[in-house]
Amino acid sequence: MPQRARAGILPRMTTLDRDALAQWARLAGFEWGAAELEAIAGPLARALESLGRLEQLPLRDVEPLTQYRML
Amino acid sequence: MAELYWTSLADLARLIATKEASPVEVVKVHLDRIAAHDATLKSFITVCAEAALEAARQAEAELIAGRPRGPLHGVPIGLKDLYNTAGVRTTGGSKILADAVPAQDATVVARLKAAGAIVLGKLNMHEFAYGPEGLNAHYGHSRNPWDARATRIAGGSSSGSGVAVAAGLVPAALGSDTGGSIRIPASLCGITGLKPTYGRASRAGVLPLARSMDHVGPMARTAADCALLLGPMAGYDPADPTTSVLPVPDYRLALTGDIKGLRVGLLRRFFLEAGVPEVRQAVERAVKTLESLGAVVDEVELPSVNDVAVASFAIVGAEALAYHAQWLRTRAADYQPDVAQRLRMGAFVSGLQYVRGQQARALVRAEVDEALARRDVLLAPATPLAAPLLGENETTLGDGPSDVRSALIRLTRPFNFSGHPACAVPCGFTAAGLPIGMQLVGRPFDEATVLRAADAYQRATDWQARRPPLA
Repeated sequence: MPQRARAGILPRMTTLDRDALAQWARLAGFEWGAAELEAIAGPLARALESLGRLEQLPLRDVEPLTQYRML
Repeated sequence: MAELYWTSLADLARLIATKEASPVEVVKVHLDRIAAHDATLKSFITVCAEAALEAARQAEAELIAGRPRGPLHGVPIGLKDLYNTAGVRTTGGSKILADAVPAQDATVVARLKAAGAIVLGKLNMHEFAYGPEGLNAHYGHSRNPWDARATRIAGGSSSGSGVAVAAGLVPAALGSDTGGSIRIPASLCGITGLKPTYGRASRAGVLPLARSMDHVGPMARTAADCALLLGPMAGYDPADPTTSVLPVPDYRLALTGDIKGLRVGLLRRFFLEAGVPEVRQAVERAVKTLESLGAVVDEVELPSVNDVAVASFAIVGAEALAYHAQWLRTRAADYQPDVAQRLRMGAFVSGLQYVRGQQARALVRAEVDEALARRDVLLAPATPLAAPLLGENETTLGDGPSDVRSALIRLTRPFNFSGHPACAVPCGFTAAGLPIGMQLVGRPFDEATVLRAADAYQRATDWQARRPPLA
């Protein structure tokens, strides 16, 4: 199914395993049940996929911006 | 004096200073407007009627005694409900902070009061500023006053600020802007909204969303009124380590009306191309207006702007969660569902991705600086579409389909990312009568030029003088 056609509809967890998400959340200190994880699984899968794009950018020698005191 | 509520902030200040209008009268007129219209518009969370009237009586006494406080003496303003106000609840648009009463004013609130401003009340917003639609499940969704059926969003997150100013319930208000939260409601409600440079105005005492992207700024019907408000707001604050020590100019003096020779860079790729046809046409017409005033317009690109959305997700997701983590563990059910969902997604951003996001941000800032090296301002639509319907989730932009949330935030967020000042200005209306907004982006700490360009454009057009049907 094309990505756009799915937008706005909660997709089934096909790309992210619910147990893995629960474990990941637990490591961050959050105990989230199936309902909470089901609600974010679709958008999170898309977000994590696009986060991979950051790996493609030539950033090795770029000083990260932290914004503090521009001048 | 029948229409004091449509009088500009600058004119109200002048009328009060010359004793042609009394602060009490001005405050009462606006309180009456709130009573008449806000049940439908839902722009206020808390109205400070008694305190505002008392402050107005005090202002009147000071004026009679020949002791005006400053350039805003006796004029009423509204505050997005994330600015701390001593003795008045500051909810952040949330249930979690529904009864939170700060002991102190936020720095910019204290500064505006010292300049004479009177706080009329606290304005509605997307819960905890985490959404560009301006929705609020706890206090009701603010309604866009340009839709007579009250079925369209105001834009957010500073939704109440946009609505109250557009509908004449307050002459001006403060908003905050992490991804466009001043400029989006300004664009959708047909008013002017300025996101100053990161570091220009203090965020001390303002509830954070993502600290490295948060800005505070004025929203009013004209650029001249934004200039009037920014002056007292701006400047170094030891309570906010991100504020700059650069001196604050008198922004009102920059408003000469003269933009002959002003170099304007039109952002077509990604920005203008995203606009729906009516938005593109309105911005193209604005280009012609600016040229007719003597501006020199060329086109420029920001090649890395495509990476802003993903890098922004990494930064805002992580920073927002850092603030909300404890409540998300103990009071998750008290968040409105979309906000809880966005906060939860932040837990899945790694440290590596956060740093990569900040590195990508450096690239974008360098590109904006480069674009402005030989230009005074950049020009783009503020939002690629006019106000969507409540509940509308999908739309089609000039370059393809998009979800509404991404569409609303797409053109404003790059300048939160880069930290440059950006001002949203009304530049037309759709055939359905909905406002269209453009934004002018300037060099760091050069709000004066941004406001001069916006003001010159407003002197040559009358979009900001139109009044919405729900007002």
